[in-house]
Parts: sequence; C-alpha cells; structure tokens
Amino acid sequence: MSSGFPVAADGDIEDGEALLVEGDDIEFGEDIAVFYDGGEYFALNDKCTHGDASLADGWVEDGEVECPMHSGKFCLKSGKVLSMPATVPAPAHKVEVVDGKVVLYPGVEPESDE
Amino acid sequence: MSTTPLPSRITVVGGGLAGFTAVSELRSRGYDGALTLLDPEGIPYDRPPLSKDFMLGAVDETQIRLTDAGWFETNSVELVEARATGLSTARGVVQLDSGDEISSDAVVITVGGVVNRLNVPGASEESVHVLRDLEHALALRAVLTPGVRILIIGAGLIGAETASTALALGAEVTLVDPSPLPLAKAVGPLVAEVLHAEHTKRGIRTVAAGVSEIEGDGPYRATLTSGETVEVDVILAGVGSKANTALAETAGLATNSGILVDEFGRTSNPSVFAAGDAARQVLDDGTLLRRAEHWEAAQKSGAAVAAAILGQDAPKETPEWFWSDRHGAHVEVVGSLDGDGETVIRGSLGEPPAVLFHVADGKVRGAVSINDSTAVRAAKRLIADQIPVDPANLADPTINLKKLVRA
Repeated sequence: MSSGFPVAADGDIEDGEALLVEGDDIEFGEDIAVFYDGGEYFALNDKCTHGDASLADGWVEDGEVECPMHSGKFCLKSGKVLSMPATVPAPAHKVEVVDGKVVLYPGVEPESDE
Repeated sequence: MSTTPLPSRITVVGGGLAGFTAVSELRSRGYDGALTLLDPEGIPYDRPPLSKDFMLGAVDETQIRLTDAGWFETNSVELVEARATGLSTARGVVQLDSGDEISSDAVVITVGGVVNRLNVPGASEESVHVLRDLEHALALRAVLTPGVRILIIGAGLIGAETASTALALGAEVTLVDPSPLPLAKAVGPLVAEVLHAEHTKRGIRTVAAGVSEIEGDGPYRATLTSGETVEVDVILAGVGSKANTALAETAGLATNSGILVDEFGRTSNPSVFAAGDAARQVLDDGTLLRRAEHWEAAQKSGAAVAAAILGQDAPKETPEWFWSDRHGAHVEVVGSLDGDGETVIRGSLGEPPAVLFHVADGKVRGAVSINDSTAVRAAKRLIADQIPVDPANLADPTINLKKLVRA
C-alpha cells in the first residue's frame, strides 16, 4: 500500500483545471494529473493512452477529460474510455482531501461506487 | 419514439470508423438483434496514424486497432472478413466475394472512399503510391529508408503529413502542389501560409506545380507542369478520394458523388442507411452538402445512423472538427472559416501556440489553432452554444478561454 503524497492545498486547483504531478515527486513511474471537477478531485495517469499528450492539458467537464490531441475522452473517476480514438483506459488513482490538503495515493485504485 | 418495429438483423458493410462506430453505438444504445460487420480487412483500425505514427514505426498494426477480437465476442457482433460485391434490397441480401450471402432487415453502408490515383502518362499502381489503407501504408513504409528521394504530389493533409514523416525518416522530399497555398480553403490562408512555409524551413523542397508525366521504372523521372524534371526513387500521390458508391449502385440507390442520405443517414431505400466518407447528405430542398471526409465526421455519422435505426434522438450536433500533425505542430480546425466576419489572432501564428478565430456578429464561427488545443475546445463550445464574445478577450493571451465558455 502506497502512502499518500500531499500535492496541493484544497482550493489551489480551480474548477475544470488540473495539476500535473511529476512521477519523480511521488516515487511513481508515471506523471499523474490531478483534476478538480464539480467539487471533487480525481487522478489519472497524465499521459494519454492513445497519443503523446498530457491529460492535465485536456478539457475537463462533467466528470470527463478530453485529450488535447485527438479528443479521446476518459472518465475522471475510473479512467474508462468514453470516446475514441482512445481504446485503452487511463489508470486511475485515489486522491482525497485530508486536513485541507489534496493527498494523492499513486498506484492505489480509487474507491468505486459501482 | 418510432413505432416501426426494429430490424431483427442488421448488417454493416465496411469496418472503418463510421462502420465500427455504427455497430458499437447500436449495441451501446441497446440494440439486441443480430449484428454483422463486414470488412475484408478484418478488425477495424484507425487511419489517421497511417501517415504519421504508424509510418514512423512508433506504433504497430495492433496499436492502431479501434478494438480487439474479444470485443466482437463480448458484444455478440459477427465480424465477417469479406468484401460485399452486391446488394439486393428486394431480397434484403448482401452478396459477398466469397459467394456467400448475408440476409438482413437493415443494411448500413460504410464503405468509405476510393483513393484517387494519379492520372498522367507513366503513372501506374506500381510507380505511384497512394495512402488510404493499411496495405498502402505498409508498402510506402517499406521503401521510406534514409536517403531515399521521394516526390509527393499534393500538399493537402495526407501529402503534408507524409512529407513531414518521410523527412523524419531521413528521406529527401520534394513536395509539389499546383496551388501556391495548399490547404488555404481548409485552414484559411493565414494559417496555410505558416504551415506551408514550415516545409521549406525543415528542408523539404516545395514546388507550386502539378506533374505531367512519369518515366522510368525506378528511379523515376517526373516532369512537372512548370517544365522542370525531378529524379526520384519513390512517388506518392496524395490527391484526394471519391466516395465509394459501387455497392449502392448495385442496389439502385440514389447517388451523386456519394450515396445520397437524409439527415438521419437514410438512403433512397428506407431500409438502407449510409454513413462516413461514402455518404453525402441531401437536404429536403434538394441541396447537396459537401462530404466532410474527416475523422470526426465519420464517427458522428456512424453514431447518427445507429440512433436513427433505433428510432432514438440524434446525437447533439457539434461544429465540424479536424486535426493534422506535421513537423511537430498540432493543428486543429473547428467550425467554419467562410463568410463575412473578422479575423482575431491570439498569439503569433508564426510562433505557436497561436489561434485564429473567425468572428461574426459578436460570435465565434470558426477557429484554427497551432499547438493550442484548449483554444479549439473552447471555440467548439463557443460556436455550438452561440456564446457572445468580445474579440478583445479572444485575442488576449492572459484571458483563460475556458472562462469565456463558463462565464
């Protein structure tokens, strides 16, 4: 079980925006994008599973992120592909607010409410 | 909701993006009847990478697939690897090159386009490559070795992208197009100028000319309409494509440089639909629309046909969108650049990221970006929702365009 890394203060990431967290800073092999959408935080691997693009630069809306290159869409919560040309889901990570800090757990699956 | 009974068996002919979208949307929208996808190339794949990452060798055949074999099993879609040679609407039968027939109550034709060949003396399938299908890409990739001399005819999307890729692979590239400003219609003259100039900056020789004759059997001598001759090892013609109407014609469906369809993708026969590059929409008053021939247009029309067959509401219309990647620049276009209006530039087009907006009556009608995807995604929403904007805000790089959408 990976421990959490505080990556921002709650409120630092504006609605519909994302913070790019470098893999080196969180002892993780991949960069992770932390999104704030509709009052909730989400985290996915930053690199789009389709092309060489950063999902942190994507368009965040209604629980989805649209890749800035070719508009593949991913569910922010699960990383599931919602629109082609992406076909491979983006790995999702647990992120939560603890004592006013946004804490990211790289490699830990987010809790599913399904 | 439609009261017409749903077809119990649907056959989709052509497994490109439109066809694959149609079958996957039929299933995701709840259709549980028999569903067949027919394509001689087998598992559907994505074509845009063929001129770029696939040609470069950055991704392989399996990585450009739109899905895998397991998907067909999971979704109970039968994938038939054969070519349709005829369609009999009276019998509800698609004839295959294997001699077999497939019966169904509804047919969706998504056979795409037929690539144009260069039609000048000396040009043949052996001497001049084209690029539309995987096999074309494999053939071209095999000969794009360092130092090879390639002549690319046509500097539109395919020609320009392949020129960039060939250069990256170490080829010596000559890019010719009769237009001095290729793509001016698609991206507007200001952006077209910047993009076309980039070829020369990177070391590609561009000539504003066509080709009048090809001699030899490799190396080739191509005579340009400017009078000069060019000696090359490889020739690629990127001179567009036509709608594939052959199957529709066997069924006597109405065609006119495309299979004619209404806004729901229905052809002149109510049980036959068409989508993607093969289809061309005709309005109620008889006006023929231009075929979009872009990736997203194929996807949207495939989804629209699925909704129409099931009697469901059509997906929300969105402004036309396409992209191109060349020389490290990611170019996107959304909406329309035609018509009266003012041009608003954010940044400097020669030093991307930069965006050009076409604004009329205080609303964005179209936009082109070089390396600024967020701007185009904002523009798409500004166009779709007709949100009034102050051009000064669009031009100000310190203003977050997302805020203009969400204001």
